[in-house]
Amino acid sequence: MMSANRGSKARGAALAAVVPLLLLAACSSGSGTSGGKDGEIRMMVNLTDNLDRAYWEKLVKPFEDKTGLKVKIEGPTGKSVAESFPQQLAAGTAPDVIQSIFPDDDTAPELVDLSGEAWAKGTPMFDAYAIGDTHFAVGVGTQTQSLVYYNKTAFKKAGITATPTTWKEMTADLGKLKKAGYTPMQTAGDYQTGLQLQQIYHPTLNELHPKWQSAVTDQKLTVGDAYKPAFQMYADWIDAGYIAKSDAGLNPSQADGNFIAGKAGLYTNGSWFAATLAKAGKLPFEVGVFSPPAADGKSYPGPQGATMANPYMVHKGASDEAGAKQLVEFLVTDPAAVKAQLGSDGVFRQESDVKQTGTDALIQGILDNAPALVAVGEGQGNVRLPVTGFNPKFTEVAQSLYTGASPADAAKAIDQWTDENR
Amino acid sequence: MARTLPSKQRRWRNAGVSISMVVPAVLIYAALLVVPVIYAFYYSFTEYNGFPTRVPEFIGLDNYRTIFGSDDMTGTMVITAVVAVVGAVAVNVAALGLALLLKRTNRFNTFGRVVMFYPHVLSALVVGFLWQAILGPQGVVNTMLEKVGTDSLPFLSDPDWALWSMILVIVWSLFGVQLILYLAGLQAVPEDLLEAAKLDGAGRWQTFRAVTWPSLASTVTVAVITSGISLLKTYDVVVSLTGGGPAGSTKTLAYSILAVSFPQRNIGLASAQAVLLILAAAVLSLTVLFLRRRAENDAESIG
Repeated sequence: MMSANRGSKARGAALAAVVPLLLLAACSSGSGTSGGKDGEIRMMVNLTDNLDRAYWEKLVKPFEDKTGLKVKIEGPTGKSVAESFPQQLAAGTAPDVIQSIFPDDDTAPELVDLSGEAWAKGTPMFDAYAIGDTHFAVGVGTQTQSLVYYNKTAFKKAGITATPTTWKEMTADLGKLKKAGYTPMQTAGDYQTGLQLQQIYHPTLNELHPKWQSAVTDQKLTVGDAYKPAFQMYADWIDAGYIAKSDAGLNPSQADGNFIAGKAGLYTNGSWFAATLAKAGKLPFEVGVFSPPAADGKSYPGPQGATMANPYMVHKGASDEAGAKQLVEFLVTDPAAVKAQLGSDGVFRQESDVKQTGTDALIQGILDNAPALVAVGEGQGNVRLPVTGFNPKFTEVAQSLYTGASPADAAKAIDQWTDENR
Repeated sequence: MARTLPSKQRRWRNAGVSISMVVPAVLIYAALLVVPVIYAFYYSFTEYNGFPTRVPEFIGLDNYRTIFGSDDMTGTMVITAVVAVVGAVAVNVAALGLALLLKRTNRFNTFGRVVMFYPHVLSALVVGFLWQAILGPQGVVNTMLEKVGTDSLPFLSDPDWALWSMILVIVWSLFGVQLILYLAGLQAVPEDLLEAAKLDGAGRWQTFRAVTWPSLASTVTVAVITSGISLLKTYDVVVSLTGGGPAGSTKTLAYSILAVSFPQRNIGLASAQAVLLILAAAVLSLTVLFLRRRAENDAESIG
């Protein structure tokens, strides 16, 4: 009896030892394939307040009805699609279609080359995102990056009759706005400090150094040399009180709120801010938008910083690659789908016939009049810096101008970082 | 009728039962803790982007050279050391002080303990957002200062202020656990020793130094090591309170690993940074244990 009891205990213990291991093995052993179930296409999208799950499900519904394929909308499992996609690739669970991010040297081998697809060729900025001769991303339109939103009431009170086209005029206008009792230029902390500095300087930078990212890669230019005049200008504006030093610790959404409340004269931002303005409803002032000043002696407006809007890529390991391509084709070519996307979250398209009003119409005008659309930040396609992680580092350097660093120190810091990470 | 087994066979069976009880725990521990650490060590000597289609390329000590040759990364290590040392001292002083005040059990103290433990219940991310709303340029404190006509304070917009503000917030969110540890430790201080000190005419400070403090030695060791390790890993509060800014002044090593190196898919470099963090935690723990052992030896030699 005793022995039988012991035997049963030992068997129980052995089972206790084996079951967790089996469970562990079951949890960890992937099949190695990714993608959805049969007839299902998994698409990872950037979910926002404006573009929520319901929006995406409605967008793909006609495709599902037409093809009988089911599209599963997934949000990022981490902070963003950019963070989640590589993690899922590493885990072997990457989705079939990826929205909102761009290919790079690491992800390119994991993506389907869309160069041979006839429907892809006419899509916006298709060639701008080519890596070598291969095309991995197709989009719906353009997100315009270099825009300065302004408070027309503040301009009127400050006696400013026209928007500035040179940096000298811009600085003079900031002085007038300060005298009129407004925050001359609203900036913010977090990622936005560096972004705004880049946005306002894109046209000038690209007039002075076309394809500057490639020039840095070819070691014909340094980032510090390229941006030194912008650092000097910002430092002067901070010293003059046109930009508040405390903005370095300000939440970007609070900065949005300050402009919307009518406290600020100027606010540099991208086309997506138009959606925030639309959501804010009726404002206590009229909003205007202009392209930032041009370089001295160069024509105005300068080239417009732009990124492909709603980019889509197909994962090479997709269980139904043909279905995934079909979905992407639908999203970037179906007139109703394109129209729905152009009407959301600051997405624009050159020469678009979608009817627009107010701020959207002003942005469309700036986009249509831009002499060229140029790569921003780290760059895109074949026009790229030789480093990754440029934007966060640039923000750090831009913030150092708020905390007392000289423009020369800022230029040196970004050059040192670029050299270390090249 | 029970059948008696030969003693050798019984010993084997007992050993089998024992092993089968221990092996699952050891395997799970090894799979979840030891194996990842071994992988981190391995990847730290490679260049690798983390994708299964790519083979890690062995590059020797290059990642470590990059870390120690970069002002940016050595800066994050200095910030992490400041946060860990200053934070650990502040957390433990605050927790011990409050534990001494709240050690008697009455309604007020019970309420006080709950209130003091409450910050630890909040997620570190929430703590960061909460204090952002309090200390930000347009936060509660600065709005009130402006209302009374005083200049606002650069809690989160000046590099030095931001670092100390962040340490303050971390201390606030961490000390609840240390408080519980010290309260438990204080309950274990022998009553007869306290009574004897009182009879000998010892004052409060003398009693604390001669009786309470030595009795708390093991609690202090645990509290300092656990708080120090938590502070070395500071990440969430950085994300939600300062985002590593302004100008990188609050960028800790853990933040650099998770928010910079991993998103850049620099798995080798991130692993090397993680290995350094593991070594820092080990050095911290061993130093505290060594200091405690030496203090105990000194006390024994005097006694």
